Amino acid sequence: MKLRIALCGALLIVANAYAEERSSGLDWLEVAAFAGHQTDYSGVFVYQYGNHVETSNIVHINDAGGEYEKLESLDGPKREIIRHDGQVWSYINHQMVQIDSQQGHSRFPFLLPEQLSALNTNYQAKLLGQERVAGYNAQVILFQPKDNLRYTHKVWVHTDSGLLLKASVLGDKNQVAEQYAFTQLQIGGKIDRSWGGRCDLVDVHGKDSSNPPKSVKGITPTNSGWVADMLPVGFKKTMEILRSMHGKDAPVVQIVYSDGLSAISIFVEPNDGDEDDVDGLSSRGAVNLYHKVLNQYLITVVGEVPPHTVMQVVDSVRYNGK
Amino acid sequence: MKQEISALMDGELFEDDAGKVLDQLKRDSTTRKNWAAYHLIGDVLRQPDHIHSDLSAKIRERMRDEPALLVPRSNMANQKMRMFALSAVASLSAVGVVVWMSLQISPELAPQAAMHAANTQIQPSSENYLIAHEEFSPSTDMNGSASYIRTVSYGSDEAAPKKTPSEKQAK
Repeated sequence: MKLRIALCGALLIVANAYAEERSSGLDWLEVAAFAGHQTDYSGVFVYQYGNHVETSNIVHINDAGGEYEKLESLDGPKREIIRHDGQVWSYINHQMVQIDSQQGHSRFPFLLPEQLSALNTNYQAKLLGQERVAGYNAQVILFQPKDNLRYTHKVWVHTDSGLLLKASVLGDKNQVAEQYAFTQLQIGGKIDRSWGGRCDLVDVHGKDSSNPPKSVKGITPTNSGWVADMLPVGFKKTMEILRSMHGKDAPVVQIVYSDGLSAISIFVEPNDGDEDDVDGLSSRGAVNLYHKVLNQYLITVVGEVPPHTVMQVVDSVRYNGK
Repeated sequence: MKQEISALMDGELFEDDAGKVLDQLKRDSTTRKNWAAYHLIGDVLRQPDHIHSDLSAKIRERMRDEPALLVPRSNMANQKMRMFALSAVASLSAVGVVVWMSLQISPELAPQAAMHAANTQIQPSSENYLIAHEEFSPSTDMNGSASYIRTVSYGSDEAAPKKTPSEKQAK
C-alpha cells in the first residue's frame, strides 16, 4: 500500500513537471512575442537557407508614434522594408512603394490565447537548457510537431529581455530548412536613429498624400465561398479577406489558417494568364508556394509548412458557394 | 545468416543478436568471408572512384597456369555448359546482393533527390504573395520584420527586374 502511494506520488510529480515544462515553453514564446514588439533594439542578423546566407540590419523602435521597423539588406542588391504599425513599404526599383496596408489592423495583442492553446495541441514544447547567442544568454526551446505535416521549430530567447535571438526551422531528419540568428544586437538604450527613423517615414507619408499608390485600397472581410478540405489537423481559419495586392489589378481573396506557430495562406484570383506565375511548387527557406489554375481561377497556397502539406492543401481547394 | 550480417553492418541488431553473429564470425570462416565481401560491396557502392582493381592481369596469369585439357570435344562442351550455368547462378546472386544493398542505401538518398527536384526558388513575381502571407503569419509576431527578409531575399536566379503594374499594363 505504501509502495502504491509512493508510486502515485512519483507519477504526480512527473506529470506535474511535464505540464510545467509544456506551459513554461509556451510562456517563453509569449514573452518573446511581447518583447519583440515592445523592446527597442538594433542589430545585425544572418538569414540562412540551403547554402544561401545573407546578412541584414534591423532597427526596431516602439514609442508614442507607434511601432517602427526597418530592415535593410547588407549583401547583394539594396533591399529595404519599412513597417509602421500595419503598413509596409518596400524599396523597389529605387523608390519606396507601399506594398501592404492594414488600416485599423492592430498589432496588439499578439499571440492570442486561442493561438497558444492551438500551439499546445499541435506541438510539444521542450526546454533544452541555455546557450549563448550574439553574446547573450538564451533559453533554448524546441517545438516538436505531433505529425509530419509541419516543421519542428527551435527558438533561442534572451533570458533577460525575452527577445528572440535565434530561430531555426527544422525539416525531415532535423535538417535546418532555414535559420535566423543575431550576430550583433543592442537592446534598449540609445538606438541609433540616424537612418532617418521617423523622418524617413514622414517622407514616405508625404509622397503618399500627394500621389496615393493605386494598389492600396485596404482590406475587407469577406465570405468568398472557397474552402480547403485537406488542411492538417489543428489549422484554424484566422481570417478571410478581400484585398488588393501590389502588382494585381483585380482584388484577391486571401484565407489564412494557423496552427499557432505557422500559417497557411490560400489566395484566389481570376486567372489573368500571366506566365510569370509559374505553375507548381517553389520554395524559399521554410516557405513553400504552389500555384495552380482551377477553371478560370489562379489558386496560390503559401505557408511555412513542408512541400507535401502545401500540395495537399492546394489539391483540396474548391468553391463551395452559390 | 547473411541477413544478420548485413543488419550488423548497418548497426540495426540488438546487443544479444549482435553477440550471436559475432560468435558465428569467430567460429565460421564462410561467415567471415561473407562479412568481408559485404564490406567490399559496400565500399564499392559508396566510393566507386577509389577502388581500382585490374583483374585482367590476374586472369591472364591464371589462364597461363591452367593445364591444357586433352579430352573429346562433346564432353568438354557439356562441362562448359555446366560451368556456365553455375557461374550464371553465381553472378545472378551477386547481382541480387548488389541490388539488395543498393536498396538498403537508396532510401536515404531518394528523399533528398526528390526534395532537390522540387526545390525551385520562388520567383520574384510571386514575392507579393509572400509579403501578403507574412503579415498574418505567427512567425512575424515572433521574428518581427526579420521574417520579411524571406520576401526580399535574393537568389542567383532572381536577377530579373521586378515588373511594376504600369509596365504590365503597357504590354
